[in-house]
Amino acid sequence: MTGFEAAAGDLPLVLQIVIPIVAEIGLLILLLVVLTMDLFTRSTRREAVGFVAAVGMLIIMGLNLVISFAWVNHPFFVENTVLGGMIRFDMLATIFRTMILLAAALACLIATDVEGLGRAGEFYAVTIAATLGMCLMSASADLVMLFLSLETASISLYILAGFLRNSETSSEAGIKYYLFGAFTSGLFLYGLSLIFGFTGTTNIYAIAEPLAALLDEGATSGVLGVVAALLLILVGFGFKISAVPFHFWTPDVYEGAPTPVTAFISTASKAASFALLVRVFDVIWPDAAAVYWTGLLAALAVITMTLGNVLALVQSNVKRLLAYSSIAQAGYTLIGVVALNQSTFGVAAVAFYMFMYVLTNIAAFTVVIVVANQIGGDDSQDFAGLHRRAPGLALAMTLALLSLSGVPPLAGFFGKFFLFSAAVDAGYVWLAVIGVLNSIVALYYYLVLIKVMWVDQAVEEGPLSFSTASSLVLWVTGAGMIIMGTVAGPWLGWAITAAENLTAMVP
Amino acid sequence: MVTLEFYLIVAAILFSIGVYGVLARRNAVAILMSVELMLNAVNLNLVAFWRFLAPTELNGFVFAVFVFAVAAAEAAVGLALIISIYRNRQTVLAEQINMLKW
Amino acid sequence: MLTFSPVSVSFFIMALFTIGGGLGVVTTRNLVHAALFLVLSLFGIAGLYVLLEAPYLAVIQVLVYVGAISILITITVMVTRRLMGIEETYNRQWPIAAIISGLLGAGLIALVVAQFGALTPVADVPVDNIEQLGRAFVTHQGFLLPFEVASVLLLAAMIGSIVISRDV
Repeated sequence: MTGFEAAAGDLPLVLQIVIPIVAEIGLLILLLVVLTMDLFTRSTRREAVGFVAAVGMLIIMGLNLVISFAWVNHPFFVENTVLGGMIRFDMLATIFRTMILLAAALACLIATDVEGLGRAGEFYAVTIAATLGMCLMSASADLVMLFLSLETASISLYILAGFLRNSETSSEAGIKYYLFGAFTSGLFLYGLSLIFGFTGTTNIYAIAEPLAALLDEGATSGVLGVVAALLLILVGFGFKISAVPFHFWTPDVYEGAPTPVTAFISTASKAASFALLVRVFDVIWPDAAAVYWTGLLAALAVITMTLGNVLALVQSNVKRLLAYSSIAQAGYTLIGVVALNQSTFGVAAVAFYMFMYVLTNIAAFTVVIVVANQIGGDDSQDFAGLHRRAPGLALAMTLALLSLSGVPPLAGFFGKFFLFSAAVDAGYVWLAVIGVLNSIVALYYYLVLIKVMWVDQAVEEGPLSFSTASSLVLWVTGAGMIIMGTVAGPWLGWAITAAENLTAMVP
Repeated sequence: MVTLEFYLIVAAILFSIGVYGVLARRNAVAILMSVELMLNAVNLNLVAFWRFLAPTELNGFVFAVFVFAVAAAEAAVGLALIISIYRNRQTVLAEQINMLKW
Repeated sequence: MLTFSPVSVSFFIMALFTIGGGLGVVTTRNLVHAALFLVLSLFGIAGLYVLLEAPYLAVIQVLVYVGAISILITITVMVTRRLMGIEETYNRQWPIAAIISGLLGAGLIALVVAQFGALTPVADVPVDNIEQLGRAFVTHQGFLLPFEVASVLLLAAMIGSIVISRDV
């Protein structure tokens, strides 16, 4: 409840309340529309619900963008946290909300083709609830709101992972994801309760000062207490972004969950978690604690990218390969988080990288869905000779894999370039070097899969057909990857604005 | 008068009992019960901090109330998933449900 | 510090319930008994809430945990009853688990004792505490947003649980 009256200026109360949560209000209305529509649509034509959900989310994304650009620099929003201190309304939240909504819309579109999901209205409803939680994660400014939005997203994702109740693998993915998630969120919550105990407040912008006072006292127990809270909180984040050593669930869940859900978990959920990680770590740790958290995160980044890449080398299932690749990608992104303490460019690099990663991974998983639907499997030999059977698919997958490995002129190149230069900028040259070495290792397994698609002989011949929804998703993501890779300037400018916004608030 | 540390000690003990249960039990329902112990320990922490450090503010109290809501939702979803896997496999003590081996 | 008083005696009884029940949950082989131990432990926590002058939370604790969640767990145990007589309760790593959780517990206890020593409350709980809570849940300067989000969470959890566990 910090200074709500201050600087309200000429902004009417209704706008003060509605503008920061316009995306969430829109999603709630969409949730109700989807649930009602599910009741009144014949079961054979329920894909329509998915299209409504996707279009609705795209409209909400646009609306939120327009409103953000119009209002985000209003002094009221710049100087305050809003809605009782629960959230912040800034460009960082906007940029992450945009990618979350985009990922959710595309996931709904590709789900319309999938047996057991496409015609289940409840699937879209729960997806929208998860999206709502993630959007709030990217804006949370209070421990209460942060925990609640994180759990709204997580619990909805447990449901989605286990959604195919007649499929053994889906149920198993659901229960694994659930047990691991519930355990880590217990540890995370204990960390938050310690932070509350040390500071007596839940507002993240007011936490740094008492924590700094605690560290300044110099008592060992104070330092150990802060480190203990940091470790417990890192366990929670490590699970959400699937950083090593909290990644054990990732391959099994990615492989077992329905593929659109895997696409959703690996993109939107990871983006939202990074948004929260960036905001929380930028704001709550005082300078005296920087040495602990940057050191820990740097170590986490190194083992995450190295182990992710090494394990990806030996995978034969494409979904598992993408799972390990996404672990490695989280490792690269952590480099940007480490750098944010010394350079605001770190935040911008994280935002840019996550945006490109969302587009790229959605494209890759869309191809996996089409191949699995038509050929009946997602092992790498199912992709053999794909260029003969569906040149468009093979091309899209190739673009996605090259972008993930960071080859110009695709988005991934600039993504990695910005991350590594942020690291150099912040004085972590060794971290950038390890990142580059890892990218070279990663190039190998991406190229192997590309070779399988373009050189190997297909077991069967005959063209593959795929729906308008999938081809739309591939066009959008493909275009996004190329545009972000060739005209990176405006996107980076946007990300830098977001980064400056984050640090603009003086508590 | 019982001072703050005693409540926190009870919470810390209960929390580690919960952690032990999650890591050591094989049955998914038992793991879920252990997670409930952990969440309750955290809640005891929150309420004790609220009472002793900031009783005039609502934040800690409200935090505890929301933990209740989340715990209820989490338990419901978890038990639904357990019933679902039981239907598919007739077992909930699969070797894979082994937190340390993952 | 501790002095002998009705409050400290009830604290110890409730703490005993809480910890004893917790140990019962993680050690009993029979899951129905484990669920009953869980009820005992959660009931002990409700007692501690009363001692912490949060009777409202004690009531919610009894309603939500002892009433709803424990019943839900018991029903699940009954539905999946074929596993009730299982021989082995622990996985092979239980000694490692015991070491990890023992160290964690010792560390946390040392930490809270060192950091929060013998603190007494800084102030009394306002008498209109619950009234304030009610107001905070419905005002935008309070906790309106999380309150609404919690309702979305419960809705999603309800829909999801029904879909997943439905037998069609």
